[in-house]
Amino acid sequence: MTNGLTWILLWAVLWIGCTQSAAAQDALDQIRQRGVLVWGADQEGGGPFVYPDPSNPDLRVGFEVDLADYLAKALGVTAEFKQGQWDKLPDLLDRGDIDIVLNGYEWTPSRAARFGTSIPYYVFELQLVGRTNDDTLRTWQDVLQPPAGKKKRIAVLGGSAAQDYLDQNFADQVDVISYDGATDALRGVELGLDGLDANLQDLPVWTFFQQGFPQLHAIDQAVPGGYYVVLTRKSDERLLAEINSAVLLGLQDGSLRSIFAKYRMWNATQTARGLEVDQQGGFVGDQASLVPEANAADGVEDFRAVRGWEVVKQRGWLLVRAASMTALLSVIAMPLAITIGLIMTLTRLFGPRWLSWLAVAYIELVRGTPLVLQLYVIFFLLPEIGISVSAFVAAILGLAINYSAYEAEIYRAGIQSIPKGQWEAATALGMSRNLTIRRIIVPQATRLVIPPMTNDFIALFKDTAVCSVITVVELSKEYYIHARSTGAIVELGLVTAVLYLAMSYPLSIVAARLERRLQRERRS
Amino acid sequence: MIQISGLRKKYHQHWVLNDASLHVAAGEVAVLLGPSGSGKSTLLRTINGLESFDAGSIRVDTIVLPAGPSAARIEPLQLIRRRVGMVFQQFNLFPHRSVLDNIIEAPRFVLGENKHSATEFALTLLERVGLKDKASAWPASLSGGQQQRVAIARALAMKPDVLLFDEPTSALDPSMTAEVTRVITDLAAAGQTMIVVTHGMEFAKSVASRVHLLNHGQIVESAAATQFFENPQHPATRAFLQETRHGQSQEVRK
Repeated sequence: MTNGLTWILLWAVLWIGCTQSAAAQDALDQIRQRGVLVWGADQEGGGPFVYPDPSNPDLRVGFEVDLADYLAKALGVTAEFKQGQWDKLPDLLDRGDIDIVLNGYEWTPSRAARFGTSIPYYVFELQLVGRTNDDTLRTWQDVLQPPAGKKKRIAVLGGSAAQDYLDQNFADQVDVISYDGATDALRGVELGLDGLDANLQDLPVWTFFQQGFPQLHAIDQAVPGGYYVVLTRKSDERLLAEINSAVLLGLQDGSLRSIFAKYRMWNATQTARGLEVDQQGGFVGDQASLVPEANAADGVEDFRAVRGWEVVKQRGWLLVRAASMTALLSVIAMPLAITIGLIMTLTRLFGPRWLSWLAVAYIELVRGTPLVLQLYVIFFLLPEIGISVSAFVAAILGLAINYSAYEAEIYRAGIQSIPKGQWEAATALGMSRNLTIRRIIVPQATRLVIPPMTNDFIALFKDTAVCSVITVVELSKEYYIHARSTGAIVELGLVTAVLYLAMSYPLSIVAARLERRLQRERRS
Repeated sequence: MIQISGLRKKYHQHWVLNDASLHVAAGEVAVLLGPSGSGKSTLLRTINGLESFDAGSIRVDTIVLPAGPSAARIEPLQLIRRRVGMVFQQFNLFPHRSVLDNIIEAPRFVLGENKHSATEFALTLLERVGLKDKASAWPASLSGGQQQRVAIARALAMKPDVLLFDEPTSALDPSMTAEVTRVITDLAAAGQTMIVVTHGMEFAKSVASRVHLLNHGQIVESAAATQFFENPQHPATRAFLQETRHGQSQEVRK
């Protein structure tokens, strides 16, 4: 018995190993074969990395877009962007949905242990940013020895190098407040939200956004940050080698310099690496000759705030389009959830004991775990055992399974509240138990459960936002992407709210009408 | 038609049925009387298996229903339920179906009749109980008396050999009792075999061909209707009749 189980496990491991290494070995060949390098990033992170093109928000710009094009060209293919939740990009890599992660991922020992990490395409520094009118904060010294004796509150991007820097060096001197988005942290400091005094930020981000925050200024010199690197799967060594040589070549021939100059990211720190060589392979030092600053200035990309009616006209339809994804997810997932829920509840109430027990276990398991975890398991972990579904299908499945547990419990309450006399009348008429359930009990229970199910439908509809963790871009994610890239938090927020309402309100009306119709059945 | 022999049923350490025996011939209207808690309804509900019993047996025509719980009951119960109809105190119409659909539900899905002929027969039944104009109404829009007449039509739609009535007028206002009583009396006149559990003495007198008295889970007296009311033999019967007369006269004074 134990022996057999061991064998099965061993085979499973071998099989998974084989399929994975088979896919891995050929990553570079596969990329060349399909002629496309798929790179993963999150537009929500915003400029200067990857963000919607202000002149055509359907396209993306950012230095990483240029970099991806550059790398793809070096591999002899074209680049294809794949949207993912920033912190889940390594999982997309594992899943095989993307070939590389290229999104401001800094080099860390733990990442290097788990993934292929390229030589840095950019050396970034950290910039402390405070309010121009704040006289209590003029230098780093003010942070370390606050004049009033009160600890400074410094906002950082959660899990970023800035957070590590503060935690490691000044954990006792400052309060570190973790934020979700770079611009959120900047805005927080600007408004002094939550007593915030300053923001420690990747320098390129500050450079890009500083125009949008005229009341903020850089404090002192930037401090050492870290390296932005490309991630590949650990096993894709040939791909990594190709990327490394492309980065190296780009640093030498000035291609990277011209890309970074466009975003005003080129600085002495990059030059100090001393990697630039001329056509003969000789080091050229810090000659600005390869990319004249004047030319670079023409093409400088900066944060361009778009506000008011303008942004609504420009981005509104993108939100409408994303809303259709939200609607689609909801209208497919909810009927599935109700069907699964009904089957589970019927099994629980009327099935043989062992099946009934299984149904209870299913309901409790699903109800007791968060939706985001279920989505994660379906999308990222099932491929480990050979079941791989698209993000859209995974989102539908996750929502349907999660809500099926709640619908099951609602249906159980509905079925149990049908008077015993209904069962007896049907039984006395010779109806079998199945026929009674199907034609007498469930139809009546369905009428009872419409109000709570309408509630759940609206809840599910809003829960579709969680699906962005598995790369599905629906209304909320689309909102964050554009709100952060334009700064139009309020305008686009209103549009988004109106869209949600425009979809959920008709649902309430339909449900109310249904209920009224059924009440007619009961009374008149 | 129906032969019940030595039925026993224990419920919470108490014998609800204690050696109850009953014979009902075809075409007969048997009325079960007895004080509250004497086991009348329980006895009636054992016939179509809404209640099980621990010992004894029930025979409907040639179908024998053994004591249960037992897998051997499944098949005879199926057969019995097709031939024995039931009308409940609380009507138990299906509230999500129209009057007509209530009636044709079982003929269509249990007997497999087609909708057209089932509907046609249902309409003649509705005419018989005086509710033809209510075919498309919802049950909840009908009065109690009307609902009970629909319930009778629904039971008749299965063309049952025997009809069981479990206190069919107890939930009704006195003003509605008459219309239901009239329908049942008509059925009796047409020769329908029936077993009726009731508290209504006048009703019992008007429909019964034989009357049986249950006392502590046992049938203690069975007699033709006139004999039962005019010349009761068993002391329990005499006590019961006296008490109900007393109770009724009290009610009249009220």
